[in-house]
Amino acid sequence: METVQQIIAIVLLVLGTFLSLVGVIGFIRLPDVYTRLHATGKVSVFGLVFLLIAASILTPLTAWKGILLIFFVLLGSPAISHSIASAAYKAGVPLVNTKRDDLKSKLERGSGKDV
Amino acid sequence: MQTILDIIFSVVLGLHLLMILVAAWHTWTGENSAVRLAGLDLASTLTTAVLVIVGIISGNSLFLDVAIVTALLGYLATVTIAKFISDQKVF
Repeated sequence: METVQQIIAIVLLVLGTFLSLVGVIGFIRLPDVYTRLHATGKVSVFGLVFLLIAASILTPLTAWKGILLIFFVLLGSPAISHSIASAAYKAGVPLVNTKRDDLKSKLERGSGKDV
Repeated sequence: MQTILDIIFSVVLGLHLLMILVAAWHTWTGENSAVRLAGLDLASTLTTAVLVIVGIISGNSLFLDVAIVTALLGYLATVTIAKFISDQKVF
């Protein structure tokens, strides 16, 4: 395979790994679950999609599998983050040092003890 | 060229396995179940990423099929557990 494709794939691979590393470090350091979901969202969208583009470039015959998985990941990742955040909010998980909470009056929340 | 590729592949794979350990650790010792669920979702996404990397290293695209299944199952499991967390019942 000519090395131009390999170089592009390697650059994408390293970039995807770096971005998922940033996401996991964010997941470690951020205080509560709502901010941590920002980090996990980055990992699954940026880390995985770059890896899949590299995989599609490196195995061109079956590139449609990579593109199919890119479609699923881009479709599913926001839904996952939203469902976790709304579940945590409904269950009553407290927000750490938040200045505004628009949903406070509109949505009844659990006690947050049983979570 | 080949040795550089092997080094890069092993470093990338090692980093991803390290990240899975961190996500699994936070799934184990999260302070509440929402954080644990976020850790579980992170671990499943990183497992899919490891499958894709092994597919790139080995060259055959069978691993991409397994990665598709892992991504879909991870999505389904996370949404179901989130529903259970918010309403204490699934259906």
